[in-house]
Amino acid sequence: MPPPAASSRYPSPSQPSGKSEVTDLKSQLRQLAGSRAPGVDDSKRDLFKKVISYMTIGIDVSSVFGEMVMCSATSDIVLKKMCYLYVGNYAKGNPDLSLLTINFLQRDCKDEDPMIRGLALRSLCSLRVPNLVEYLLGPLGSGLKDNNSYVRTIAVTGVLKLYHISASTCIDAEFPATLKSLMLHDSDAQVVANCLAALQEIWSLEASHSEEACREKESLLSKPLIYYFLNRIKEFNEWAQCLILELAVKYVPSDSNDIFDIMNLLEDRLQHANGAVVLATVKVFLQLTLSMTDVHQQVYERIKSPLLTLVSSGSPEQSYAILSHLHLLVVRAPFIFASDYKHFYCQYNEPSYVKKLKLEMLTAIANESNTYEIVTELCEYAANVDIEIARESIRAVGKIALQQYDVNAIVDRLLQFLEMEKDYVTAETLVLVKDLLRKHPQWSHDCISVVGGISSKNIQEPKAKAALIWMLGEYAQDMSDAPYILENLIENWEEEHSAEVRLHLLTAAMKCFFKRAPETQKALGIALAAGIADFHQDVHDRALFYYRVLQYDVHVAERVVSPPQQAVSAFADTQSSEIKDRIFDEFNSLSVIYQKPSYIFTDKEHRGPFEFSDELGSTSITPEVSSDIVPAQQFEANDKDLLLSTDEKDDNKGLSSNNGSAYTAPYESSNISSQMQELAISGPAASATTTQSSFDFDDLLGLGLSTAPAPTPSPPLLKLNARAALDPRAFQQKWRQLPISLSQEYSVNPQGIAALTVPQSLIKHMQSHSIHCIASGGQSPNFKFFFFAQKEAEPLDYLTECIINSSSAKAQIKVKADEQSTSQAFATVFETALSKFGMP
Amino acid sequence: MPVAASAIYFLNLRGDVLINRTYRDDVGGNMVDAFRTHIMQTKELGNCPVRQIGGCSFVYMRISNVYIVTVVSSNANVACGFKFVVEAVALFKSYFGGAFDEDAIKNNFVLIYELLDEIMDFGYPQNLSPEILKLYITQEGVRSPFSSKPKDKPVPNATLQVTGAVGWRREGLSYKKNEVFLDIVESVNLLMSSKGNVLRCDVTGKVLMKCFLSGMPDLKLGLNDKIGLEKESEMKSRPAKSGKTIELDDVTFHQCVNLTRFNSEKTVSFVPPDGEFELMKYRITEGVNLPFRVLPTIKELGRTRMEVNVKVKSVFGAKMFALGVVVKIPVPKQTAKTNFQVTSGRAKYNPSIDCLVWKIRKFPGQTESTLSAEIELISTMGEKKSWTRPPIQMEFQVPMFTASGLRVRFLKVWEKSGYNTVEWVRYITKAGSYEIRC
Repeated sequence: MPPPAASSRYPSPSQPSGKSEVTDLKSQLRQLAGSRAPGVDDSKRDLFKKVISYMTIGIDVSSVFGEMVMCSATSDIVLKKMCYLYVGNYAKGNPDLSLLTINFLQRDCKDEDPMIRGLALRSLCSLRVPNLVEYLLGPLGSGLKDNNSYVRTIAVTGVLKLYHISASTCIDAEFPATLKSLMLHDSDAQVVANCLAALQEIWSLEASHSEEACREKESLLSKPLIYYFLNRIKEFNEWAQCLILELAVKYVPSDSNDIFDIMNLLEDRLQHANGAVVLATVKVFLQLTLSMTDVHQQVYERIKSPLLTLVSSGSPEQSYAILSHLHLLVVRAPFIFASDYKHFYCQYNEPSYVKKLKLEMLTAIANESNTYEIVTELCEYAANVDIEIARESIRAVGKIALQQYDVNAIVDRLLQFLEMEKDYVTAETLVLVKDLLRKHPQWSHDCISVVGGISSKNIQEPKAKAALIWMLGEYAQDMSDAPYILENLIENWEEEHSAEVRLHLLTAAMKCFFKRAPETQKALGIALAAGIADFHQDVHDRALFYYRVLQYDVHVAERVVSPPQQAVSAFADTQSSEIKDRIFDEFNSLSVIYQKPSYIFTDKEHRGPFEFSDELGSTSITPEVSSDIVPAQQFEANDKDLLLSTDEKDDNKGLSSNNGSAYTAPYESSNISSQMQELAISGPAASATTTQSSFDFDDLLGLGLSTAPAPTPSPPLLKLNARAALDPRAFQQKWRQLPISLSQEYSVNPQGIAALTVPQSLIKHMQSHSIHCIASGGQSPNFKFFFFAQKEAEPLDYLTECIINSSSAKAQIKVKADEQSTSQAFATVFETALSKFGMP
Repeated sequence: MPVAASAIYFLNLRGDVLINRTYRDDVGGNMVDAFRTHIMQTKELGNCPVRQIGGCSFVYMRISNVYIVTVVSSNANVACGFKFVVEAVALFKSYFGGAFDEDAIKNNFVLIYELLDEIMDFGYPQNLSPEILKLYITQEGVRSPFSSKPKDKPVPNATLQVTGAVGWRREGLSYKKNEVFLDIVESVNLLMSSKGNVLRCDVTGKVLMKCFLSGMPDLKLGLNDKIGLEKESEMKSRPAKSGKTIELDDVTFHQCVNLTRFNSEKTVSFVPPDGEFELMKYRITEGVNLPFRVLPTIKELGRTRMEVNVKVKSVFGAKMFALGVVVKIPVPKQTAKTNFQVTSGRAKYNPSIDCLVWKIRKFPGQTESTLSAEIELISTMGEKKSWTRPPIQMEFQVPMFTASGLRVRFLKVWEKSGYNTVEWVRYITKAGSYEIRC
């Protein structure tokens, strides 16, 4: 409706006007408030619109609250609606003024027009002012009994709102029971649906502290109730159907007949126009048949077609959501879409997030029958304008090559990529060729001849350069130029910015040396000298280590650095199957999109340092971890299943598997002092005597030449560095490398257990004792923490895993230490600190 | 729970708030700022439509020049969330007549607030059926003339009818002339290799209806699809009539269609909502009749010259014709000069999309047209960068043609008062993503 000229152009939100306009509005509203002149409602409407438009763009118009309420004494429903909206928005911040509105809202709740009754009731429940809840009870009670279904629908949601403002008031008024009887007896489908939604929320929140609520929650899943809903499902609208289907997922069928009954009942839901209903039905089918393998397979066949339709219809965002689910399914049952691979060909104009998922799909469904077509298509994308997609496509080709037995054709394709002479294509391809050779060394001949032709000058990306250098070292005997290319690269040591590349250079020079000693000796010498002088700790350590090991015995060195090639049979999966199952259980939710189980991103304790502060909407870092940790790492670290099992990507593993031993890790620390460097030069295991140090070394290499030094008894009191820092990656690495030096169980005092309801408090407490938390997780009664501490004045770390069971009041700790001899001392410090937890 | 959205925001491209509706208290007040700083102002925008910031997930869509952002704090159902937004936008469009953009939102914001109040309560989607919402919405879209009197109050018992089995239709509708319009709209998706092999081809079709019928009519639709025909001949125990039958890969229906009857009798029977709606959607991958063949030859002559020759053939019936044919032929970025001849229509070089755009207003069936062009390129000094050759893209509409061959066999209307109806049926095939690699 075009309002009068004055207000037809609303102020643009980009120019928020100042206070004067609000004062203006205030006086105008005041003038109109008492007026009964004809046409006054129209002027009021315009003013109300202005107020609401200010409110929308974020100007605080709460100061006109009183005037708005005065003006709302009207029979004009348009005005009423705008006023309700205003009141709902500002009531929370103005509890005193809200009292003014109660009167007219309560009166409107008794209006003869059901629409006004409904609106007033909705607004009344949306005030969200705790001390006004008593005024809600009456209107809500009569709303639930109203003879108009519109009002009842609103009243039901109102009960849920009341529950969130004041749970006890809601429970005491026995509203849940009323909702339950409404749910079973009301004739209106929407009322029933809202009852279900409200009861589900209320009872699952109550269930933690009330047995009755727990029973009620269970009763929602009883057979009669489920059938009551499923039999009537067609009467509900599409959204309510989703709600019911989601309920049905949790139902445990009594026998196979039960399962088939439900599936027959819901079969036609797969043809519903609303994709959300289809997806919810798919979930029911999948979950119901989990225990029946052959039926489960048939379900995959049945749902295929509807799912493919959903992918190709609708907006890209919708396709994205569906594709994420398909990807989850295809990982569980790769065959289902094997013949439909063409559906996942990318369209030129699709957004890259859809393309990426489609590439993943193509990779996952590739098998003997379709590999040729899929790889041909992927090769088209390698020439894509979108570089990111081009890279992904090449990686996809590589992944397919790694999972197939017949890789002949693919190898040719990969080698053709190298001829495209595009930097990023070459770079990605080199990394892939390296992985491929690790799995299928028999292809080395074809690959090496092509790779040898690539000029190392054209490769800038560290990963690609590292891959090339690895191949130079590994296949030095087959590449005539290898020593000279390496020599060239080593001469430019100073210009090489990536530590990863320098590490690879060292190893490659060593390997080359064992195969072609006379040609490489000089280069290796330069490399070791440059390496030992390197400022990067890892590079330095590795160079020094190579030097020492060569000094010790060249043959031993060869066995360590360049053992006979072993083909990698399979590259490790990044996610454990347990996690995948959990995600599958949460089908049709955000978990699938994020590829993480929901507890990781919904539980507060798991969210990590990237926390919101409500007021600022900005990010702040919790004191738990040092600020240089990115959230992704934190998630990884928090997930206890993953904490120690996630491997770094192929490259690092490549190193360790090729070299037979993990040689860098124990001395990898993110904050090394110069003092440490000196120490390290005189002997890497700083505290041990020089004679012992070489033995320690051998022990780490697994050569079995030494015996572990016995822990020193009765250690002196240990002082810890209060400002120690360690990044999660280094922590993980250390944790994997070091042996457990101590494992003990302590009991925790009751105050400590009580304080543990907020696990953060323990973290803070320990921090005050210079023991820092790096990751935490778990739920009552089991909490798990990973701590680290550092010895004062010496960069020696103590890593601790601490599992606290709050019901048995026991804490189990496992300590790993750089310096084993002082671990007992550290444990004592830890126990003392822990025993003080919860004490005032 | 299906969505339980905590808040919905509408933002323009600059990040200004157009609409701000908070449903639940579990998200902080300044989620918009978070969205702006962490998504809009970073490269993230457009990278992924679902993002987590802090403990909240942002599920967002861009529709024309507006972002619609749904904020949820729980492990929500994303598919449902997106669908809800899509449906809501369709609803808004029906109120303000077509365009959904920043201006339309600014002109209708009170209406949008009213609608948002009704279609979602405390984060749970409620009824989005326009027919029912008419009973509760006081505002009208700005396109309609202003009426100062409050909108006629709902008929006292109108709300009761919603509770009946037919939630999408009011009782007591009456039209002087009873008419039904049925459109079959198909879009053809094609991906063809440079050698002329069809890599991927499918049709997604919609049956759109517009009903102006009195009372509570029962409609029955018969198509020449395979399952329906087989079922029919089986029931009448006589062989199916000869003629083309179509195999539908997948069908979905509007909620008004009786799915039980579809599954048992394979007929589409329904009580239609009043006005416009989408009756069914289907997908076909086998036996698609492509309306156009495109034969491109592109020759790169040295580093500064190219020759492009594109032949387009129409392969539908000679009596039919296509409208609005557009062929977009990509050329390298460093194109300096173009020179072309076309046998019909007009062509020009559009540097902003690096394409030759060739438009033919009316393209009769069983004919062919050619474009031949010479292109001069600026020779680049830098390292040679081979051109990636994006695919040729095509747009068109062919009225009275269905790429799938689907036809309406009958459309019966039955109402207890026994009035006569006029039925109109139209067909149209459009290009979806019609790509030919060259």
